[in-house]
Amino acid sequence: MKNQWISGLVGIVRVKVTGKGVERFLNQLTRNEILIWNVKRHGTEAITFQIKLSDVKKVRGPARQSECKIRFIERAGGPFFLQRLWTNSGFVLGGVAFFALILFLSNMVWGIEIKGASPATEYQIRKELKEMGVKIGKPQFTIENVDVIQRELTDQVKALTWVGVELRGTTYHFQVVEKEEPEKPKIYDAQNLVATKKATIVKMFVEEGEKVVSIHDHVKPGQLLVSGLIGKEDEKQKVAARGEILGETWYKSQVELPLESTFQVFSGEEKRKFYLDISGAEIPIWGFGKHEFQEYEEELNTHQLKIFKWKTPIAVTTKTIREREEVNRSYSEKEAVKRAMDLARKDIKNQLPEDAIVKGEEILHQSINNGKVKLSILFQIIEDIAKSQPIIQGDENDGRNKNDGNSTS
Amino acid sequence: MAKKWSQLIRNWMTQKMELPPDVMMDLPRITMVGQIHIYIENHRGLLAFSDREVRLLLEQGQLLVKGKAFVIKMILPEEILLEGKIDQVIYINE
Repeated sequence: MKNQWISGLVGIVRVKVTGKGVERFLNQLTRNEILIWNVKRHGTEAITFQIKLSDVKKVRGPARQSECKIRFIERAGGPFFLQRLWTNSGFVLGGVAFFALILFLSNMVWGIEIKGASPATEYQIRKELKEMGVKIGKPQFTIENVDVIQRELTDQVKALTWVGVELRGTTYHFQVVEKEEPEKPKIYDAQNLVATKKATIVKMFVEEGEKVVSIHDHVKPGQLLVSGLIGKEDEKQKVAARGEILGETWYKSQVELPLESTFQVFSGEEKRKFYLDISGAEIPIWGFGKHEFQEYEEELNTHQLKIFKWKTPIAVTTKTIREREEVNRSYSEKEAVKRAMDLARKDIKNQLPEDAIVKGEEILHQSINNGKVKLSILFQIIEDIAKSQPIIQGDENDGRNKNDGNSTS
Repeated sequence: MAKKWSQLIRNWMTQKMELPPDVMMDLPRITMVGQIHIYIENHRGLLAFSDREVRLLLEQGQLLVKGKAFVIKMILPEEILLEGKIDQVIYINE
């Protein structure tokens, strides 16, 4: 028996035959190589059977020769189904629209959940997210990658130590770990202040404790600056020495800068292309034509479309092509030295605490060879050199001998 | 096309493999599945068809199938598949 599924696709017609000699008519049809199935008898004179739509024309000839009347009573299968679809196209349209809507809504942000943050931080995070475009009701493919959001958040919100960003379905989950900034201890233990660096003392401001050194003294690392033991010789009291001891310190910095250098920079010209990626096949939807950049870099950003929680094989891909340019930079000697100094200053600033002041700078050595400027610079810095050191029981006599260096270690 | 092929193969098979000569002698070959299906090959045309009786022309004589609720599931020039409840299969030799 032949497969009726295929004829189902082609289209099936049910034929009703009435009259005498129906069997002869059937034989005639089979001899004309027409496939007939589901022959049923209805009463004494009528039978019905099914044929393929493509065989309908072949039926006409034998029908004329016989004494029977034929009528086509039922149409089914592919083409008729399509026709019905067309007449009821509203339904189809509705179905497609529904599907498209679900697809669209499944790819929108529907919730932002932040866990583990204090209200203040949460507010800050939400504000930052809003600025980044992560808002309820935004399509997800316009939003940056989860990694990028994570990086931006940790950069922008200072109170964060770490934030875990996860996109589950239509909701962004943020797991926040806040920096726990310890509250400054109000009650100090008994302590001394000692020097952290080799320096010359410039200014001393002692809140509590007994000065051991004075201005213009040279100190070595670990040397006692302010003692936490005050009072008379024999009945010393332990206090927490506190204060700011500004010392002048020296830093040496070596800088090297080539006179001529080439850079790769982006010219700012870019071209964006959008693709619909259906399981590997790329269909461009926006941004046609070729770019005219000689040197360029491509960036791909792919966003998989989802239905509810399932991923579809369809992805929206954004391709950004940026033009790259080579820029030559050449300095004159004077300029180069200036630049090198700038570099050195920046370098020094990075090494120092924020409240340090650069008091002076001096070029120790300057040379130009092989197209490079070499500088070694000495910086004079004024910074806080005091460090607290607890007084341990039994070391009570340490404060007595002034200027004797690393007494408490 | 399929039929021609099948006939060719059948001829070749009977010659080469010495099959029983039912096909060679143009005898009908009837296959029944219980009472519900009857498949007849090598008939020579439909003589009468109603839901209780089917009469087929053979090379020699006729074949009468009696039963209930007959539906011809498929009919080809030399093959027919009948469905329904089959009670009797009778050869009529004149």
